[in-house]
Amino acid sequence: MSASIRSGLKVVCFRKLLIPLQQVPSRCYKKGLSKDLRIQYKSRLTVGPEPDRHRSEFINWNYDSEVYSFGKRLGEDLNDDILKKVFLHRSYIEREKKKIQELGIAVGTSGLDVDHNEQLAKSGEQLASNYVLIYLRNAFPNYFEEGIRSIHEYLMSEDVLCNIGRHLGIPELIMCDDFPLRESTIVTTLMAFIGALEQEKGKERAHLFVRDFILPQLIGKDINEMWNVVNPMGLLTAVLHFQKRGLPEPRLLWEGASSTLMSVYHIGIYSDQKLIGKAPGETAQIAEEMAARDALKRLCQTQESRPALLLGKLSENLKLDEKKVNISAKDIIEQFSPKESTASTSSKSIFGIFKGNHSLNKV
Amino acid sequence: MSGGSIPSNFLKNVLNNGIGRYVCQMKRVTFKFCKQRNDSQGTRDFIENHLLDFTNAHPGVVVYIQPRNNRPSKIVAEYLNGRSEGIATTKMPQEEICQWLEHLRTRSGAEIVRLRKNHHTDNPSTQGVWHPFTNKDTSLNLAKFPDNDSYKVPSTVSTTDRLLEMGRKLRQEKLSEKS
Repeated sequence: MSASIRSGLKVVCFRKLLIPLQQVPSRCYKKGLSKDLRIQYKSRLTVGPEPDRHRSEFINWNYDSEVYSFGKRLGEDLNDDILKKVFLHRSYIEREKKKIQELGIAVGTSGLDVDHNEQLAKSGEQLASNYVLIYLRNAFPNYFEEGIRSIHEYLMSEDVLCNIGRHLGIPELIMCDDFPLRESTIVTTLMAFIGALEQEKGKERAHLFVRDFILPQLIGKDINEMWNVVNPMGLLTAVLHFQKRGLPEPRLLWEGASSTLMSVYHIGIYSDQKLIGKAPGETAQIAEEMAARDALKRLCQTQESRPALLLGKLSENLKLDEKKVNISAKDIIEQFSPKESTASTSSKSIFGIFKGNHSLNKV
Repeated sequence: MSGGSIPSNFLKNVLNNGIGRYVCQMKRVTFKFCKQRNDSQGTRDFIENHLLDFTNAHPGVVVYIQPRNNRPSKIVAEYLNGRSEGIATTKMPQEEICQWLEHLRTRSGAEIVRLRKNHHTDNPSTQGVWHPFTNKDTSLNLAKFPDNDSYKVPSTVSTTDRLLEMGRKLRQEKLSEKS
């Protein structure tokens, strides 16, 4: 009633008339609310944040259903027993045994004589690691073995595998001692799943899993950055020598703004009068190194414009040569006699362009 | 609100899903409802008529049913990326709940925010960024300016001449038709 009168007055009356009405105490239930909120806020600060809880502590959790769905989600038809073994870690069994011993019950009668996933993880890791190597060697047949190893190292690194495991819903299902989980535990479980696939469904199916989940992690990554080449010009010289082609000749293609901070030099590398790579740089040395890297990329066919990896439906009838071993950069360098080395002299030749004659070499 | 304070993101794919095989990103869904309240009627109908069909079609999703007394009904979906999404289904008919469930199932689980770009590419340009030397012939390095060769018009027939010629022919044809 009073509210309706007040709203009426607001329209018709002057401001002065409203003053006594505003002083009427409001009959409101939220008088102490702000005080309460302040107390709640302060106590939250003193108590600290809510601790992380395992998903199984919540009411909507059924381990059997979760494990069953895990296999179905990934399109793998494994039985529940082997799946449960995949998620069972040694630390969990040990902890449970300890608990039982403390209670004074004989361990033999507890039903804890079950297998943990260590063996599966071992075989799974071996299979995944092998398959990644074979696939990469076939995908990049002209790339150096060292480079292939670096890409393999990246794919099988704990960060990458842990990220895959997290996005497949593995962490919640793991039965182990530690919480929050260590990254290595997630990786072990993922590898154990691959091992279980190999054991139950055969190698082919396990290979398909690796191809579908681990290898796509290369998409959008620069594979040339994964292997650090210290002296690209030296390696390029050795490679050209190995291929019985002319030794690399760096030439200045263009330069601009050379007396300013924004200077740019474009250097091309020639072999037998043919341009095999070019790149820009702030100084001639940087540009020369980058050009050597570019030439190496083109020789190894790992340049940015290479065709995409064969994955998914494109790889259905993929046949990989399992015995293929790529050529090693170390072998090439060893074959190349140090007398002919132009890795050090090449930088002199580039200075020759500047110091000797300013009219640039026509290329 | 300014553009800086509204959350935004780039188009992303969770774990390159679909490159290999497609994995449904909704891992768990919980139906929370009241057994007696009228506004949970739609959820109760859904559980009675459609839930089994859903579970048979999607064995990769774990379904939980959580009755709560005198609380509003709700669907909570949990995703593989760790996020969860809730939708209030109070007073909703069962058909609408089916549609919302399908919406939740087909999502990636990523937060719905303003997209800065509607496309994504890992290789923005295979040619590389344009610079003043792109597609420039290196022989120009040796040219002495003024270089008369640079100003030379190619000896072939120009497009303007070709067009004029075509026009002239058309006019002649028209004239011959009239006569």
